[in-house]
Amino acid sequence: MSATTTERDGPGGRGPGGNGTARGATTASSPARGGTAKPPRSRADTRAGYAFLSPWLLGFGLLTAGPMLMSLYLAFTDYNLFRAPEFVGIDNFTALFADPRFLKSAQVTAIYVLVGVPVKLAAALAVAMLLNAKHRGQGAYRSMFYAPSLIGASVSVAIVWRAMFIDDGIADRVQQFFGLPAGGWVGDPSMTMPMMILLAVWQFGAPMVIFLAGLKQIPAELLEAAAVDGAGPIRRFVSVTIPMLSPVLFFNLLLETIGAFQVFSSAFIISGGTGGPADSTLFYTFYLYIKGFTEFRMGYASAMAWVLVLVVGIITAVLFRTSRAWVHYTGDQR
Amino acid sequence: MVRTRTTTRTAAVQVTALAAASALALSACGGGSGPSAEAAPVATDRDIELSLVWWGDDDRASRYEEAVELFEAEYPNIDVQTQFQAWDDYWTARTTEAAGQTLPDVFQMDLAYIHQYASNNQLLDLSSQAGINLETEGLDETLLASGSLEGGQFGIPTSTNTLGIMYHQDLLDEVGIDPPAEGLTWDEYDSWIREVSEAGADSDPQIYGGTDYTGTLWLFIQWLIQQGKTPFGDDGMPAFEESDLVAWVERTQPLRDDGVFFPIERVKQVEPLTGMQVGQAATEMSWDNMLAGYSAGAESENLDLLPLPTGDDGSAQFWKPSMLLSASSTTEEPDAAATLINFLVTDPEVGQIFGTSKGVPAVAAQRDAMEIADGSIDDKIVTYEDEVAERVTADTPLPVEGYGVVEAEFKRLGEELAYGNVTAEEFAAQWFQYAESNLGGS
Repeated sequence: MSATTTERDGPGGRGPGGNGTARGATTASSPARGGTAKPPRSRADTRAGYAFLSPWLLGFGLLTAGPMLMSLYLAFTDYNLFRAPEFVGIDNFTALFADPRFLKSAQVTAIYVLVGVPVKLAAALAVAMLLNAKHRGQGAYRSMFYAPSLIGASVSVAIVWRAMFIDDGIADRVQQFFGLPAGGWVGDPSMTMPMMILLAVWQFGAPMVIFLAGLKQIPAELLEAAAVDGAGPIRRFVSVTIPMLSPVLFFNLLLETIGAFQVFSSAFIISGGTGGPADSTLFYTFYLYIKGFTEFRMGYASAMAWVLVLVVGIITAVLFRTSRAWVHYTGDQR
Repeated sequence: MVRTRTTTRTAAVQVTALAAASALALSACGGGSGPSAEAAPVATDRDIELSLVWWGDDDRASRYEEAVELFEAEYPNIDVQTQFQAWDDYWTARTTEAAGQTLPDVFQMDLAYIHQYASNNQLLDLSSQAGINLETEGLDETLLASGSLEGGQFGIPTSTNTLGIMYHQDLLDEVGIDPPAEGLTWDEYDSWIREVSEAGADSDPQIYGGTDYTGTLWLFIQWLIQQGKTPFGDDGMPAFEESDLVAWVERTQPLRDDGVFFPIERVKQVEPLTGMQVGQAATEMSWDNMLAGYSAGAESENLDLLPLPTGDDGSAQFWKPSMLLSASSTTEEPDAAATLINFLVTDPEVGQIFGTSKGVPAVAAQRDAMEIADGSIDDKIVTYEDEVAERVTADTPLPVEGYGVVEAEFKRLGEELAYGNVTAEEFAAQWFQYAESNLGGS
């Protein structure tokens, strides 16, 4: 990883919210293009650097990279934990695409990503816009809107969510109040996906905070100038806010997409560890878990894991590639 | 419908070339043959530490803790470290340990898994301990056989259970219908369910005669045996035809079509409870020792047991060890491990502690030690097992390797069926395909 990208990742990824993304990207681009702005590093410095990194490097090597390589090997074997892995070539991969439940899990996950991510981002942006306006007590509102994200990933929330959508739960009562057909969502295969997406959307806090920070970065004079030129609020939003916000939007889109592919615990709890009803919550990672830890087909599960890595990798690459067309960094000539 | 913990249980010690299998496993795993020392009476002159692991809930945990205290009082030099998990997590943890050769010294075993663990050389052959640290005389021969494979004794059954129809008298009083007649046929039982569901349609909440039992593999096996068929062959594969399975699924189809069963949407919503436990299904078929849990869930003492419906060959019920105790092949203390198993299976006071919560104790000394109040749930279970004994005419179906997962697949397909997503033919075809790639150690 080059120094340039490290700098860019620093403020962008871990800075206070995401306001660093836009700024970090901007400042990082000049030395990168200049190329000579950096003083040469001594060898001792390099060594010291690696020494300080070593705890992390060791952990990465032993706990992440090693097991990953092992799983790459296992993906080409038949392995049930009891007997030694037996090499089977690409059998696991061919079996995957003939497995109706694998295809079902891919479909369930695709719907979740394609619908859930845009809806969640839209909700996050909408709330960020509201919170960006000047009101008394905005700080309190921001904390309140962020709160679901703090507890959202927890087991208890998934349990509460299930209780809300069970029959005679809150959702059911509201439906009855409005004269809609009663009955819980939990037992209805066509309603579990909306329920899962609602849970994801409700946890809009993290992208919302990043959006909010991005909105604060947009120079007020741009919006004022547009207003003077006669642009209405929608026009200003489409032609000024969105382009200025595009690096932040891109960052959120990327993170949320990758995150959505990995949804597991909420589905596990809501479906009681089955992926049901009728496989309607059988997310990809969940099916992988079932194969690996219920049926003990580790080779098959490893193959699934690598297919997921590949798919997420390709989608990320495609997003990066298309981002050139719609993401505008301040200072760029586009 | 049988609850998860029991549904994952299973069938059959089939006999394969164990010697070859163990040799293979040995060379593969590099060790794990267990201590080669001869069995000797457990040492009392040095400190010994044992690990004991089981699946179950808090209630079972407190009973085990009490039993372990008794054991430690009798063998002051042995310290027992305990741990427990819920059923699913339990097997994930054990399998991982098996891969790392770190299984606990003593742990609960189930028919669904004993074949897999034994044929992969993970379990201690307890036959060498018999008469030294282990007294197996008090155990029924056929019951003991369920823990043996290819001449080795890899598990000791602690208790027995058998299937039955549970009924909820409070609900039947409400609809004014008598419990099913003892010894009725499957078709008669289905008609009875229909009658109750029709009578209970106006109750609030609605009362159904029963829950769809088609997706319970044990019940299908029981139905097969009643027709004189064998569930699994010596090769560990299904010994019945796809058409048998189609017939099983089709015979309950009219009840599904007419919405007579407790609806699947509700089944999924009340999980992990069942229709009977939420007071909406008047009958459910399950293992008799589950009656206590059902009674607690339903918050009523008015639950009781009846024998299963009968087929051409009569009732043909069978005993099944509700669980076994096994020792790891890698244990450093085989003598102490056998002693602990022996204590848990035969000690009268331990029998008193557990009651029928794990099933009816396998050893008479423990059965006799139970303090049973008249009319209590324990009493109902013990009475049922006494009464049903004459109907128990079939041998325990021996476990096949991989039963646990094909049973889960059977249940899953049963749900798809209830939602109307698969036909009887698709159910049978899909299950057979799955069974072929998951049974027999393939």
